Amino acid sequence: MSMSAEGGQGGGHSNEINVTPMIDVLLVLLIIFMMIIPMSRKAIDATLPDPNPQVQTANSANDQIVLSVLADGKYKINQDEVDRENLFAKLRSVYDPRPDKIIFIKGDSTVTYGDVVYAMDQARGAGVKVIGITPGPKE
Amino acid sequence: MGMNLSSGAVSSNPNVTPMIDVMLVLLIIFMITVPQINAGFTAVPPQGQNLKPHPEEDTDQVLGIDASGQYWFNKALIRPEDLEQLTRNTFEGRDESILYIKAHKDLTYDKVLKALDVVALGGVRVAALISDQMPGTESLVESDRLFLNKGGS
Repeated sequence: MSMSAEGGQGGGHSNEINVTPMIDVLLVLLIIFMMIIPMSRKAIDATLPDPNPQVQTANSANDQIVLSVLADGKYKINQDEVDRENLFAKLRSVYDPRPDKIIFIKGDSTVTYGDVVYAMDQARGAGVKVIGITPGPKE
Repeated sequence: MGMNLSSGAVSSNPNVTPMIDVMLVLLIIFMITVPQINAGFTAVPPQGQNLKPHPEEDTDQVLGIDASGQYWFNKALIRPEDLEQLTRNTFEGRDESILYIKAHKDLTYDKVLKALDVVALGGVRVAALISDQMPGTESLVESDRLFLNKGGS
């Protein structure tokens, strides 16, 4: 028994802990964390308003859809008021037959950013491809 | 000497203890880095379901807006009046003018909108509003899922 330099106390059989499963688990955890770091980011793309719009207001199509986020947690698709639960179904019924999947999002100044992102999120789920942001009031 | 059936009189098992040490340290480092990757700037982005994956790249430009409405451009605190000039310098001559916006979810929308208007003046065309995937949900948009499966495997 002169071979064991460390842990030579007692036992004819190997008394070392079997660390192989532990290393397996650690390696998997390590790989998971390494993959999370670059993969985690997700976003909603929103097109910003042109800061120098051409004068073409008369020409602009009048069938565009503006989704307004109102202060009391309600939403408005053009002129129709919708509440939070029915927003997705309503958007879906509006956008299913439409060829152009463009929406403009207009937020009341007092609503939270989260509510506006919720609206964009629902719109994307309903098939909207391009989300436009309507400019804020000019100072 | 009957302990080792394999060759060699000395123990033939590799000594894994230093390896475990290194692994544990790496693991702890990664666990700490994940939440602290935005040191100095903290914001809780809103949650959503139908989000588009945007893997991070070195050339990304990120504007952070924290809960108190301060602007962080690529993790450095900036003055609100410098934002337009900064975006103008950054995006001049670039092909893609996409700016990532990481804003706190409980900010009022007009604060975010003001920032968006300013960066639009600075030449930004598309703002990618960074959001977190709601746990347990998957995007309803097919292209998002395709991307995820391709990039994740």
